[in-house]
Amino acid sequence: MDTNTIDYKKERAGYYKVLIGLLLLTAVTFIQPHLFMTESNFLAQMLIAVLKAWMILMYYMHLKGEKLIIWMVWFALSIVLVFFIIVIGIDVANFNNAAGSYITSAPNAN
Amino acid sequence: MSKTYFDETHCAIGHPKSTFMQWMLTVDHKRIGLMYAAVMFTFFFVAVFTALLMRFELFAPGQQFIDGPTFNQAFTLHGVIMIFLFIIPGIPAIFGNIVMPLMIGAKDVSFPRLNWATFWLYILGCCVALASLFIGEGVADTGWTFYAPYSLNTDTNVIMALTAAFILGFASILTGLNFLVTIHRLRAPGMTFFKMPLFVWGIYATAWIQLLATPVIGITLILAVMEKYFGIGIFDPSKGGDPVLFQHLFWIYSHPAVYLMILPAFGIMSEIIPTFSRKEIFGYRTIALSSASIAGIGYLVWGHHLYTSGMSDVAKSVFSFLTFFVAIPTGVKFYDWIATMYQGKIVLSTPMIWGLGTIITFAIGGITGITITMIGVDIHLQDTYYSVAHFHYAILGGVVFLMFAGMHYWFPLITGKMYKETHAKAAFYIQFVGFNLLWFPMFIAGWYGMPRRYFDYLPEFQIYHQVSFYGALIFVSGLIYMFWTFYRGWTKGEPSGTNPWNATTLEWHMPSSPPPLENHSKVPYVDFNPYEYHHGEPVVKFNYETMQRID
Amino acid sequence: MSHEYVPEIATDREGNEHVVQGWQGDFYGGKLGFWMFMLTEVLMFGAMFLVLAYYNTLHPQDFIDASASLNRWLGGTNTVILLVSALTMGLGLLKMRVGDVKGAKLMIWATILLAAVFLIIKGFEWTAEYNHGIFLMHDKLLVGTENSLPFGQKLFFGMYFTMTGLHGFHIIIGIGLMLWLLKRINAGKVSQDHHILYWNIALYWDIVHLIWVFVFPYFYMIGAGGVTGGH
Repeated sequence: MDTNTIDYKKERAGYYKVLIGLLLLTAVTFIQPHLFMTESNFLAQMLIAVLKAWMILMYYMHLKGEKLIIWMVWFALSIVLVFFIIVIGIDVANFNNAAGSYITSAPNAN
Repeated sequence: MSKTYFDETHCAIGHPKSTFMQWMLTVDHKRIGLMYAAVMFTFFFVAVFTALLMRFELFAPGQQFIDGPTFNQAFTLHGVIMIFLFIIPGIPAIFGNIVMPLMIGAKDVSFPRLNWATFWLYILGCCVALASLFIGEGVADTGWTFYAPYSLNTDTNVIMALTAAFILGFASILTGLNFLVTIHRLRAPGMTFFKMPLFVWGIYATAWIQLLATPVIGITLILAVMEKYFGIGIFDPSKGGDPVLFQHLFWIYSHPAVYLMILPAFGIMSEIIPTFSRKEIFGYRTIALSSASIAGIGYLVWGHHLYTSGMSDVAKSVFSFLTFFVAIPTGVKFYDWIATMYQGKIVLSTPMIWGLGTIITFAIGGITGITITMIGVDIHLQDTYYSVAHFHYAILGGVVFLMFAGMHYWFPLITGKMYKETHAKAAFYIQFVGFNLLWFPMFIAGWYGMPRRYFDYLPEFQIYHQVSFYGALIFVSGLIYMFWTFYRGWTKGEPSGTNPWNATTLEWHMPSSPPPLENHSKVPYVDFNPYEYHHGEPVVKFNYETMQRID
Repeated sequence: MSHEYVPEIATDREGNEHVVQGWQGDFYGGKLGFWMFMLTEVLMFGAMFLVLAYYNTLHPQDFIDASASLNRWLGGTNTVILLVSALTMGLGLLKMRVGDVKGAKLMIWATILLAAVFLIIKGFEWTAEYNHGIFLMHDKLLVGTENSLPFGQKLFFGMYFTMTGLHGFHIIIGIGLMLWLLKRINAGKVSQDHHILYWNIALYWDIVHLIWVFVFPYFYMIGAGGVTGGH
């Protein structure tokens, strides 16, 4: 265990640094729709979220240096990604008969 | 000195005096595994007799014993019990619990109390599933797949069945989690991943599927419950939802689930073949890595259940292409087993005969699976008896047969007694004949267009159903005969000694049989491969007091 | 187990001794197990995002319109609250690791307080939406009435209530866990040398935060540049 080798001040400073980073990114979240990438709003928002998630994972959740766990996280994330690529990217992107489908063009579905 | 149950009760809560409470509260992995076995085989027989009831109904066209809606409930009950209560948790919960820690030289699993809690979570799930039989309109009539939108509209207890499946899924996740940490942390010193017995590899790959696929079905079931009570429209087309999405989410779990069933079974096979060939296994690494790659590829092929559901044509082609890949690592395993037997000193004990029988039945199940991988053929055969026969050849003739093989193999380890081999072999032959008679006609009936889940049929299919019926009777009598043999073996069998099969893996190097509390007298240092034979004799020998090698 | 655990020693053929890892007091094992549990959370919310993205692809404009009508300021406030609560939780753990038990307990109370504020704001938000006729099984989210929203918006709001509801449920569980943790600290079961429980609950709180990091932009922000604007 690492209890005896903690540099308290250094670690606390680390926490605050990450906090400031996260707050800044949250602010960016709010001004982004009026500032940049306004055409691809969704993509920009998700990129910011990924950046925030990475900071939380690495510093708040102490993933830095944990080889085995990082490998596991990547494995889980890549499985989720595969689901997205197959279901959204392949199946829905080639939705058969969208014009005649009730769920996409029902009378009250506009 | 190892401890005994007399010194320490090893319970999750307190130190109860009564033997009964000591069992109910035990954290000992061997006892938990045995309790799982007792519960699961009880449910197994319930489901077997439900199936037999359906066979009776199908003996002749028209209505005999039960009406259509009851028939629907019968096959749902059969499916739900067999899939969620028996075969998915089956081998990991029983043999994973009992044997896996012994094989890696651990004292217990990583989280013994969690293991205990998981068992009771499983029992809770079973209770909810059972309760749905007696409450309101009775058990669900949707089939075990709960396809939306019908499952959202029927009055039967679908929601309770979904809740039960969710709880059982959670138990499955926690079992997988426990095993993963155990295998990562508690291997005996010196035992690297490539020195683990292959059953442990099977359990390891399985545990990853349990951990990462089960949450998807969990959330799907929750969404279905939300849908039912809050009418969000997630899966109901009249509210804008897409039922195909339900099928996607359902099979994202349920297809990997069939690999979850088969991988530990393959692990059992990989133990039995080298032991009874008295020969080091051929291609150890390829078998280990094929387990891992089946688990990986298994995530990518769920869509072949959706060929006729209205999935887009592009996706169909992709899935058909991907599905073929699963056959490759499976084939690798089969060739490795056969190559292991080549020039071995084959001993035809009961576990080996079960293993050899499975090579035949699973090969039939696997190859018929390849045919329905092709979209064109599948359109013809989807939801016919052909796919029913394929599934049962693969799961009953693969997983359950290997589970029986494992039961015969580890019976002396668990009970310390030996069953009568002549009876056990006779039971195998009866079941093998009954099994083929039961399922093979279904391939033909399905090919000619007999749809599944129908309680009535055209007269021309009668011959197939009747042959199946007689096969079912033979199979069930063989099944009862086998369990009777086990029972006789346990009560009246000869003491078996610690290593009756001349096996090499660590679970056979116990100070006593059955194994004492906290397992090995001392943890051995593992600097050998799991299946080392020389001229048909095990290479590695231990001094059982100190667990040091003396060869 | 009442007796002190002494790790076993395995001896190899050369007589070298190797410490055997037991399940007792296995800090790394506990951490590994909890990470695996969190992976199941990732898969669970991953599947819900899949559902969301599925209908987003079928009804892109409806999703932007519905998102634009959510209250971005309340959502943003909640984001900042969770962000700060992750800091207090982390600092508490740090204090525990250097032996400052009192400071650690204070930080846990601060986290609980922030979590409660999060839930209260969430409650106001849902109430406001209810008053606008948007709630499960209510007014605009019913099918076939004259107020009914189009399918895409209806699905958006349905998933919004499901996912933020499930996230809120995780927050409630988190509060329960933290209260339990305080009890364990008071009983002396969690200490500087034995803080795996604290560590894992801190990890749990971080994953709850992490989920919100994705839930927030997907529901509140994708329509932020739209023509309709906020409330």
